[in-house]
Amino acid sequence: MKRRTFFLGLAGLAGCTRQQKPRLNVYIWSEYIAPSTLETFAREFGVHLHHSIYESNEELLAKVFSGNSGWDVVFPSHYFLKPMRQQGLLAPLDAGRLPVLGNLAAELQHPAWDQSLDWGLPYMMGAAGVVHQQSVDAQAQSWDLLWREDMRGKVTMLDDPADTIGAALLKLGMPLNSTHPQALQAAKEALVAQKRLLRAYLNSEARQQLVAGELHASHLWTTTSLLAMDDSDALAYYYPREGFARYADCAVVLKESTRKHLAHEFLNFLLRPEIAAANAEESFTTTANEAARTLLPQELRDSAALYPDAATLARGQWFEAIPPDAQRLRDRIWTEVKAR
Amino acid sequence: MTPAAGGLRALFLAPAWLTMAGLFLLPIAVVLAYSFLTRGAYGGQDLPWTVESYIRMWDPLYLGILARSFLLAGAVTVLCVPLAFPLALFIARSGRHKLLWLNLVMLPFFTSLLVRTYAWMFLLRDTGLVNTLLLKLGVVAAPLPLLYNDGAVIVGLVYSYLPFMVLPIYATLERIDLALLEAAADLGERPWGVTRRVLLPLARPGILAGAVLVFIPSLGSYLTPDLLGGGKSILVGNVIQNQFTTARDWPFGAALAIGLMLLVLLLLRWWEARGGGELG
Repeated sequence: MKRRTFFLGLAGLAGCTRQQKPRLNVYIWSEYIAPSTLETFAREFGVHLHHSIYESNEELLAKVFSGNSGWDVVFPSHYFLKPMRQQGLLAPLDAGRLPVLGNLAAELQHPAWDQSLDWGLPYMMGAAGVVHQQSVDAQAQSWDLLWREDMRGKVTMLDDPADTIGAALLKLGMPLNSTHPQALQAAKEALVAQKRLLRAYLNSEARQQLVAGELHASHLWTTTSLLAMDDSDALAYYYPREGFARYADCAVVLKESTRKHLAHEFLNFLLRPEIAAANAEESFTTTANEAARTLLPQELRDSAALYPDAATLARGQWFEAIPPDAQRLRDRIWTEVKAR
Repeated sequence: MTPAAGGLRALFLAPAWLTMAGLFLLPIAVVLAYSFLTRGAYGGQDLPWTVESYIRMWDPLYLGILARSFLLAGAVTVLCVPLAFPLALFIARSGRHKLLWLNLVMLPFFTSLLVRTYAWMFLLRDTGLVNTLLLKLGVVAAPLPLLYNDGAVIVGLVYSYLPFMVLPIYATLERIDLALLEAAADLGERPWGVTRRVLLPLARPGILAGAVLVFIPSLGSYLTPDLLGGGKSILVGNVIQNQFTTARDWPFGAALAIGLMLLVLLLLRWWEARGGGELG
């Protein structure tokens, strides 16, 4: 991922000094919020807003696990809400302090993982599909593209067990979150068969190599793919017909926070359409805020990758928290694939 | 030693002992404790105490990864010797510029390993410096697959840990009495013979110390194999890292870390017993 943003985070840390103003500590994914959002909130509410960034849910969880991390608002993916809740890390949201929840997209008003939005406020949505050079196969619509013999040495998969085991399961017509040993075994065999064709398992690093034409196709997140496509007209992106993985990053208030009122003000601020639009534009991501979408520049608003039609969305499957035993099996499979 | 001197000695040693206990022994004790616990449902650790993690370790999958890690770290160590020795010799003989050269050897440590590893990625990519140069010179027709294989990992590790080989060899070479080399030459030994039969044996302690200093961090490395290996090969360091992140199995990760540490300690003892050297 983008590690240069780490240095920006350090600079942010260095800039915070003892102040009289109330403060709010926000821990968020890199390049996920517009600088203007942070500045406007700090000015309007007369607070000192300190923010820093992380690159993975695991990194976030490791930081807040102790229960005295010092952060007030963090942004886990939706399938981390359950484990974080079970560890007693989350404070319940007070819907009374979030009067404009109606701004959210319809499918996020009562999501399966948090029916009445008691724990997390959906912020951005994401998904993983296939980005490829159109010259290779302009008609490609399947995961099979990443398993094709003629792509040898020119394809990458995400270096993430949930995403990549999930892609293999979907290719085989099985559910993304399968915990069934036989399904996982089949997924392992598909990944082992694919491995000799792979250049590497890459996350954000794939972006530049796609732009440079070194790669023909990659299993990649929507936002990273769009950033690559912004630099190269030769690239195209699709959500495979067999199905694809979706996730929603949610703003949550940590139980340890001593500034829950201010934290709610911040969440409510994020729900403002113009603020949500600025954040979506900055991050090249799908906003969870329906009211903000109309405010976006046309190229983002009408992007089929960011805002797929209903038929495409019907193929999407949300990640779920995997139970411990299945998680252990998945890790063993991942290790086995990597060790081949 | 008088009682007063003993008290003074204890007083002056106290900071060292406290640092060792607080920053070295205590964390290892925590890791040891975790390794005997049950994993929490979503990370962390729970009661009851168990040796389950130590039993799981004997899975051929993990033993195979361990063996591969040993081979790779061994290759890195062996490659470092011929690269480091001439350099160390050159520095030891470079008179008043010694300090400059030594500083240059240590210069890479001023930058984060992460940044330096990324630099290697830019060198080795298809459109990187090396391939661009080879293509322009007409040496190759298509870019060579330099990145994302074991070769790239070895190059990255050799680059990262070479200074750990150079410095101890330099330290021994610097202390060698040059008269010994002259005597060997006077007695009819050719330059190659002087090197092989006099210089190398005298430099042995430095080479052995360097080997240990290179081998151990190579064995535990996880960043370089991940970035330069493109996640396609997995070393024991990566397995341990995964247990604390995606696999959410802290006790197993802790047990693997303890197991690796014990293995390395045993190897060091064996090495010393074999006369491997003045490592203490």
